[in-house]
Amino acid sequence: YRDLYTFELQAPTRLIECARGNRVCVATNGQSDGNEILQLIPPPALLTKETQGLCPERDFKVECGGISECPVYSLKYVPDTSLLVTSGPSDSSLQVWQVSAEDSDVIKSVSTIATENGIAQSWAKIATISARTPWVLHGSRLDRVQITEVESRKNVYTAASRGSEELSNLAFLDCNTLLLCCATGRLCLGDIRQPQALMEAVSVPLAPCSEQWCMGTRHGAQCSELSSQPVARLSSRGLLTLIDLRKTSEFLALAKARVPSPGSGAEFLCVSWAPALEGYLAISGFDGTVHVYDSQSWDSSGREAEPIFVHKGHAFGGAGGSRDPPLVTVHTWHLQKPRTLLSAASDGSLHVWDWVQPCGKC
Amino acid sequence: VSLVFCWCPGAGQDVGRSCILVSIAGKNVMLDCGMHMGYNDDRRFPDFSYITQNGRLTDFLDCVIISHFHLDHCGALPYFSEMVGYDGPIYMTHPTKAICPILLEDYRKITVDKKGETNFFTSQMIKDCMKKVVAVHLHQTVQVDEELEIKAYYAGHVLGAAMFQIKVGCESVVYTGDYNMTPDRHLGAAWIDKCRPDLLISESTYATTIRDSKRCRERDFLKKVHETVERGGKVLIPVFALGRAQELCILLETFWERMNLKAPIYFSTGLTEKANHYYKLFITWTNQKIRKTFVQRNMFEFKHIKAFDRAFADNPGPMVVFATPGMLHAGQSLQIFRKWAGNEKNMVIMPGYCVQGTVGHKILSGQRKLEMEGRQILEVKMQVEYMSFSAHADAKGIMQLIRQAEPRNVLLVHGEAKKMEFLKQKIEQEFHVSCFMPANGETTTILTNPCIPVDISLGLLKRETAIGPLPDAKKPKLMHGTLLMKDNSFRLVSPEQALKELGLAEHQLRFTCRVHIQDPRKEHETVLRVYNHLKGILKDYSVQHLPDGSITVESILIQATAHSEDQGTKVLLVSWTYQDEELGSYLTSLLKKGLPQSTP
Repeated sequence: YRDLYTFELQAPTRLIECARGNRVCVATNGQSDGNEILQLIPPPALLTKETQGLCPERDFKVECGGISECPVYSLKYVPDTSLLVTSGPSDSSLQVWQVSAEDSDVIKSVSTIATENGIAQSWAKIATISARTPWVLHGSRLDRVQITEVESRKNVYTAASRGSEELSNLAFLDCNTLLLCCATGRLCLGDIRQPQALMEAVSVPLAPCSEQWCMGTRHGAQCSELSSQPVARLSSRGLLTLIDLRKTSEFLALAKARVPSPGSGAEFLCVSWAPALEGYLAISGFDGTVHVYDSQSWDSSGREAEPIFVHKGHAFGGAGGSRDPPLVTVHTWHLQKPRTLLSAASDGSLHVWDWVQPCGKC
Repeated sequence: VSLVFCWCPGAGQDVGRSCILVSIAGKNVMLDCGMHMGYNDDRRFPDFSYITQNGRLTDFLDCVIISHFHLDHCGALPYFSEMVGYDGPIYMTHPTKAICPILLEDYRKITVDKKGETNFFTSQMIKDCMKKVVAVHLHQTVQVDEELEIKAYYAGHVLGAAMFQIKVGCESVVYTGDYNMTPDRHLGAAWIDKCRPDLLISESTYATTIRDSKRCRERDFLKKVHETVERGGKVLIPVFALGRAQELCILLETFWERMNLKAPIYFSTGLTEKANHYYKLFITWTNQKIRKTFVQRNMFEFKHIKAFDRAFADNPGPMVVFATPGMLHAGQSLQIFRKWAGNEKNMVIMPGYCVQGTVGHKILSGQRKLEMEGRQILEVKMQVEYMSFSAHADAKGIMQLIRQAEPRNVLLVHGEAKKMEFLKQKIEQEFHVSCFMPANGETTTILTNPCIPVDISLGLLKRETAIGPLPDAKKPKLMHGTLLMKDNSFRLVSPEQALKELGLAEHQLRFTCRVHIQDPRKEHETVLRVYNHLKGILKDYSVQHLPDGSITVESILIQATAHSEDQGTKVLLVSWTYQDEELGSYLTSLLKKGLPQSTP
């Protein structure tokens, strides 16, 4: 490690969103403490280039917070606005919130966007973009994908149905293209200018298998051609596939991460690309660790890949005792600092860490 | 309805000094008397003229309570008691009483001797002030006077810190001072019972903070010490006698053992003397683990930590030294600092806040050239680090305390109002209590619903419970009686008994109303008409026609007479007692409407 900061939230969070102005947003869902959305200012120590181990300002500050009636599992900031959108189980609509940090420290609920979600346990996955006007792409299942204009709540796009599988995540690749990842591993590409054409980018065998998948995309440039950035898929068995969307007939690379088996389910599977390091990605959700890989050395053999770094802090951090070891619920990369990540676990811990590159590379 | 005023001549959106005035059921209590550490002039003291425009403070205030020895809670106390003038009791815990004068004297020395200030309290004033102090134990109910009582609860935070409950009759206020809800290496966590005060005044300095874990901070501390010692440097840690020093010693001792380090660690002898003096106080205030450790061995029998001798400072090679005083403003720690400051391999780690004017404060602010006595310039090349292990409650801790105490209202001090709106909402939503955040100098009024205990006579109780449906243990039952207030006792008795006790005769109030009715017939015929009319309408009531020609409706009497001047008009006299007022009024208005023609 170059640096490791560990914090404890009042309750565990399943999401970490980085926002402009160096803000970090989490949503804690505690049984007795209620559901809160917290926008945090990281400690100044994290912002500076040099390490200042004993700097007095080492704490996260809660800049503003909001209280939600239902648990919040998914949250996205709406770019170029002071709004954010959340979704969670037991709530069949999306909540839109206003953050006005200068005036008050309360995140206010301003409106709701109805979705067609009916099932209690699943919730809409969301992605936002503000190319034309602020939009939110949402859906819990493949046949329930829509794009809604955030302010007017008008529906601007409904994806053609190609099945009813549950979605793990979805993303805007650019202002016209969206990518959907089903829990089965199926990837579908959509173009909002052609709602009827929902293309299957990666298909899956018909035989049902218990493996579940999620995907990670790089933050695409807005309104550019279909990016050449590969899409990463991660399965609950630790399989990693990299796909170039322009050529989906074969995988760019295939590797296997060393993960404990049997796995602990796919609820917290998370794979993400480093915004500043070419080819680097991180995975989590199998246990109390976060792995960082350099995918540039991978081929299509499906061999086991050696992680560049493994963050084990969450596994050791807890109060100990007989309770289940903590499970990392989510991780994300710092937007500016290239080797800094944030991760959270089921015991309420929140870590910010920066690793040292093993000798050889810079 | 009683009022609890809460107003902060110091605290309340003003981080830096605490001084709160509470008025509860006619008693006035001052909570803490702190000094603002950022100012150099009179602004550092609270403005006591707010309290009473004329009249002596001693008469106005019933007592002063100090929560702990930090200067932003007790720093203005000698100024208040000796220069402004207060002779009443000052309450604090035993450790606070022992440690306060030392810190106050230290602070006085720096301000007067080093900075040459004149409007400041003297050493004698500190001594005179402490003579007015009454020390209290934890959970001991102290009667300030016949009506006012206070009780201290463990607050964690620092040695001797306490939360205080102030009670007058059945109204109470709990003031937390600074507290901490998670135990650390040498202090336990704050605790209070479900005392249900009308108001909980809580500090909220760290309410919007998510603190990094102690483990992390300790790891960094050890890393820095280790790195310095590995490269042959010396580490100076200025400490106050007790408290954090113990914690750091234990930490280093364990680390040295684990890593098999050989560099010597020293604890200066000045500390040993003071430490033994506080030893007894410390023991009851620390947590279980420490108590066990100290029972097994003398506090200074660490394997790797030895007593320091002045001469050791010149020894070559790495070492770690704990020395007093904590802010590097005088004494041994300053001496050692001067010797080691010029070498960049060395390090000084400041474990806490340093008052302005001290060397500690200067180097933490970044100054690297210091002017010493005799105009000598000291160049500071050694590394300067700051570390704070002082613990305050965060949002989670505040919610925990509220859950423990179950107050009816909450008041937050010590933060900026704009940034506490979220916490205020959280508290109001979760506990359904009102949450206040006054600004400095603002008066907050909190309405309470006091419970007034009243003795009820057994006879009355038996009688009242016999009336109506069976009493339900879970529902309140309405009872009627007469309340007798004598001196400070309240009794509920039956009206008859009340009259007897007071030697009063019972009076009956009877109303009579005249209703004129046009009816040329004879009186007894009119009466019959009235009777039939009323019988027809008032089916649920007992309407009777008596042989003497009068009508009764329940206990109301109606009689008819002829008008003295006009034979065609009959006068009905309707008469009822006070108890039957409602029915009586109703009957009267009914009769005023006249009799129906068809009635025979």
